[in-house]
Amino acid sequence: MKITVRLFATFRENREKESTIETAPGTKVEDVVRTFNIPPEDVAIIMINGRGKTLKDVLSEGDVLALFPPVGGG
Amino acid sequence: MEKRYLRHYSVSEWNDDAQNKLKNSSVLVAGAGGLGSPLLYYLASAGIGNITIVDDDIIEDSNLNRQILFNETDIGQPKAETALNKLFSLNSSINICAVHSTVEELDDEFYKKQDLLIDCLDNFETRLFLNRKSITHSIPLLHAGVSEFRGQITLTEPGKTLCLACFLDSENENFNDGIIGAAAGVIGSIQALEAIKYLALRKNYLANRILLIDLINMRFNLINAARNKNCNECS
Repeated sequence: MKITVRLFATFRENREKESTIETAPGTKVEDVVRTFNIPPEDVAIIMINGRGKTLKDVLSEGDVLALFPPVGGG
Repeated sequence: MEKRYLRHYSVSEWNDDAQNKLKNSSVLVAGAGGLGSPLLYYLASAGIGNITIVDDDIIEDSNLNRQILFNETDIGQPKAETALNKLFSLNSSINICAVHSTVEELDDEFYKKQDLLIDCLDNFETRLFLNRKSITHSIPLLHAGVSEFRGQITLTEPGKTLCLACFLDSENENFNDGIIGAAAGVIGSIQALEAIKYLALRKNYLANRILLIDLINMRFNLINAARNKNCNECS
């Protein structure tokens, strides 16, 4: 199945900001994160089709996955 | 019309009604640091009538790169009270309350009388506590965060929009605590603008949208975001 992955901020360094990838059914967010060589613990916000999700959520055909690093200071 | 707000009235859409809404508004600002400094200056100067500042910190010299409310002579003083004194000299016609406390220690009575909670905090755990207060008391929450050259802003309305727990993880405190002061200035100023828009005009504010700001590359991304149906806090 195909999914679209959008990376934001520092995740774009040396990576495409948006890419469409082929994944197997049952693929979890965490699997995709590792594919992009992003340490899972560095991901703060995960959105699938605009809704907040977790590393353990399973992706579906046509999903748009957006990954954001943490921005926690104030 | 008070002369100090004259330039507001030159703005299209601004009128007595908008200015009076600011005057009659009550906001709780959690954190008088890098975001809180510019935000508080702009809220006070805009004429928001009732501002409660909550911060339990003492001013340190390492704060001075970004916390523009404070001077070298303020080092060692409490942030909330020092901020109150600075803001009172800017606008003595508004009510400002300083509370030297954490938001967790704050009595519920402080929360209940607010029209807007403003998150200028520096960690996710306390942000999610404030998020729970927002949901419990049905008070909107204006969130912002800043790190290095980046930031994010959104406004949550209990029962209508996503809440902070829909997309933030309290266990992920794995962010760089470095901040360029001017980045906090930009993001705190946008946060102040959102508060003013929400309180005075009730339009075009960042509900169900997250503004992501990348100031090293000068990119602003506005993403749509919706409630997480499995959210532990709001669903």
